[in-house]
Amino acid sequence: MRAASAGSFQWLAADRPPLKAFVVAVAVAFALPAAYILLRTFQVGALSGLSDTLAPTGRSVILAVTVSAAAAAIGTFFGWAVTSSDTPSIGALRTVLPLALVLPSFVGAAAYLAAFAPGGILHEALSALVDLNVSLFGGEPLGPIRLRGFWPSWLFLTLFTFPYVLLPVMARARSLSGSLHESALLLGRSQFETFFAVTVPQLRPAILSGTLLVFLYTLSEFGAVQLLGYDTLTRVVFASFLADQGVSFLAAAILMLLAVVVVLIERSVESSSRPDARADSSHGAHVSLGRSRWPVALLGWTVVLFALVVPVTSFLLWAARGLVDGRVNLGRLPPAMFNTAAAGLVTAACTIMVMVPVATLSIRSRSRLTAVCTTAVLTGFALPGVVLALSMVFWTLNTPGFSWMYQTLPALIAVYIVHFGAQALGSAENAVRAVPANVRESASLLEPQLLRRFGRVQLPLMRPGLISGAGLVLLSTVKELPATLLLAPIGFDTLATRIWSGYAEGFYAETAVPALVLLAVSGVLTWLFVIRSGFRSRTEGPGQS
Amino acid sequence: MTKRDASRQGSVEADPMFAKVSLAEVSVGYEPGRPVLHHVDLSIEPGEILSLLGPSGCGKSTLLRAIAGLQPLSSGSIEIGGVTVDGPGVHYEPHRRRVGMVFQDGALFPHLTVSENIEFGLRGVDDASSRVAELLKIVELEGFADRRPDTLSGGQRQRVALARALAPRPSVLLLDEPFSALDPGMRVQLRRDVRRILSQVGITAIVVTHDQDEAFVLGDRVAVMRDGRVRQIGPSTELYDRPDDRWVAEFVGEANLITGVLQGDAEVSTAFGLHAVHAPQPGFEAEGQVDVLIRPEHLVVVPGGPATHEGSDRPTVRVHVESAEYFGHDVLYEVTGADQLFSVRSTDTSLSPGDAAFVRYVGPPVQIWRRSTTEG
Repeated sequence: MRAASAGSFQWLAADRPPLKAFVVAVAVAFALPAAYILLRTFQVGALSGLSDTLAPTGRSVILAVTVSAAAAAIGTFFGWAVTSSDTPSIGALRTVLPLALVLPSFVGAAAYLAAFAPGGILHEALSALVDLNVSLFGGEPLGPIRLRGFWPSWLFLTLFTFPYVLLPVMARARSLSGSLHESALLLGRSQFETFFAVTVPQLRPAILSGTLLVFLYTLSEFGAVQLLGYDTLTRVVFASFLADQGVSFLAAAILMLLAVVVVLIERSVESSSRPDARADSSHGAHVSLGRSRWPVALLGWTVVLFALVVPVTSFLLWAARGLVDGRVNLGRLPPAMFNTAAAGLVTAACTIMVMVPVATLSIRSRSRLTAVCTTAVLTGFALPGVVLALSMVFWTLNTPGFSWMYQTLPALIAVYIVHFGAQALGSAENAVRAVPANVRESASLLEPQLLRRFGRVQLPLMRPGLISGAGLVLLSTVKELPATLLLAPIGFDTLATRIWSGYAEGFYAETAVPALVLLAVSGVLTWLFVIRSGFRSRTEGPGQS
Repeated sequence: MTKRDASRQGSVEADPMFAKVSLAEVSVGYEPGRPVLHHVDLSIEPGEILSLLGPSGCGKSTLLRAIAGLQPLSSGSIEIGGVTVDGPGVHYEPHRRRVGMVFQDGALFPHLTVSENIEFGLRGVDDASSRVAELLKIVELEGFADRRPDTLSGGQRQRVALARALAPRPSVLLLDEPFSALDPGMRVQLRRDVRRILSQVGITAIVVTHDQDEAFVLGDRVAVMRDGRVRQIGPSTELYDRPDDRWVAEFVGEANLITGVLQGDAEVSTAFGLHAVHAPQPGFEAEGQVDVLIRPEHLVVVPGGPATHEGSDRPTVRVHVESAEYFGHDVLYEVTGADQLFSVRSTDTSLSPGDAAFVRYVGPPVQIWRRSTTEG
């Protein structure tokens, strides 16, 4: 669609060269980190490090695949069950289950480490049941339970990522027509068969897009696997970026390659499963689960227990204990909160300013150029934060005139923008769509003055989309760890880095308080910008642009 | 039933799937979003097509869903083909009732092709593919077997939905507002197609609609519903000419209620003369003034006034034209005359508001009710 020549905010008019030039520049900036990594990988001659990266690659792939599968199963089943069935306490489950998203996985893993550590809530509970120091069945005494390796990593990542599938599935299930389900029943299929033969195919696009997010998230996960000692590619990147650059770059390149391959696979599969909007209806599906509705509810609350209640209680216990015996020093909390808020808000504002032009071009003048540009923006999201950070570190150090940026706030915020820009793109596109051509045209007839028109017409209409985009970016920066660790200026503590350093050293009590603050902030933001808006529309949210 | 018997003779594919459907004292209690049903008694003969007509929210779709087993009853019983499928302690699951259903939105499975959709209910059937081919022929979509639902027009989708519902040879077919999602031209065409297909197959069918034309064209009989109750059931002509009350009269068509005076048992006199009266309902007792139903198309405009029609035993009434709605094939005039406001449907399109004219009654015996102003 061509923007009307009468369109306001002239430089934003889609057919104007300045806008195109700006968007192309943005796209180049977003694609730069990937290009730089590839370039350096070949320059350093990193292929010699292949043997060092092979095993971690295998672990990364195994973890990402198994977590994706488990999260897809849990997210799909409960996404459907809490929307379309007669599960008892369905309303509460619908609200509480997505809240597992509140915990960044490294914080969740940390919570479990603290819970199983001597003095932790699960350790206490277990000790009350069995004496951990007495040998059972004549074997070794149980001792403190250590969480290490694949299984804990798999379990915790699944627990804290399944909402990425749950939320889109819930949105899709809500729009499904009940008559599809009823038709299948009348044609002789059981509830169970109908779920797999009719419902799941309808949910498939939502399942796929959610599972892709889980896969990318797991691939790029650093904090949790580091805490749990599961040696994946991100750990290699992080551990060897000073010692052996070649291995670090190669690991980063492999991560990139995996991400790209998976995105391509998802795209090719998704295009063959386009949803049929005409199957949507206001008459929702309501399925009676019969006797199995109680086990389903029980299962749902079990997930809530382990994804939410145990971690939060674990923190509460440590925080209370620390505050009571005075071990916890609250003095370092306010600066960390301030830093987190400042970095997050600046990033959110800058991201919106960068993404609105991209969205304008992608909505109002679709072309191959805009497709390439939006793909570049999505690349930034698909790349692990640790890879982007690595790229930024070496680029600033090795580029004459930019070394001042090393470990400065601008570098950190630039990486945040590249990493999270895609999350704001969908919302920014909604904002642009909210001002259709006829509205812009009638506005230009009624209000001749450009800026005033922008303030009176465009801005009010775009505001919900812009706020939601900014909120999603803010949420992500608050939860971000690896890039912050690598790029934050010396002494620039955020909530995430405070938690991280505390747990890396085993000071559970001291970091339980920042963890709770982080959960509260992330909880509010998640509720406002992910869950609540997910109830309203299904077009928003990361990866759905 | 004569219409249908005639069309069934010589049909290519006679595949009788007859079952009588009986509802006794069926009630459905309050549930958010669904209207209630109050003690509905209904009986559909084998091979009959019944139209369930009523305004939105009257419970007609709930009734259909109750027959399908998708809506639990709070009391009463339903019998299909002699088997009690709903009753005290009895509730057959939908798939055990041998009931086919066509939904308003078609509810085609978007991920399956046309033939896969039709085949969906034929699992375990030996000659499934020949049955699919047979149905594609019946609904005249032979070339569409491998198409996806989203490439079909609305009318084609509904025909696929019909074929899918018929494929497992159900004993009764339920159609829930099957045409309401279509544009007007396509509705008429599909209505004709569905009528033909149902006759050809000879299945017992119930069609829910809020459109009186659809109900009349499709149904051997029509049941008019309101507020969860069946108000009247009968052949279309009976419903139109002899509605039980003024609400039904007005719901199935344009209706004038003219004041009349009973003259003995069999006649009533109005401004339009003396009319024979339909045999009154049992228990009807009225003296003096009554309401007389006069359809607008039974009043004709007399060109040139009373003088030109000497010899007719009916008086002409001088009227004043208040408004005119032009429909192409005719005009609906709103007129005042004999101290009353009423409508006249006429092919004479020459009158304009403000004109004077003469009208006369030309129609069958009339329906009368006790005078009342509160009903309806």
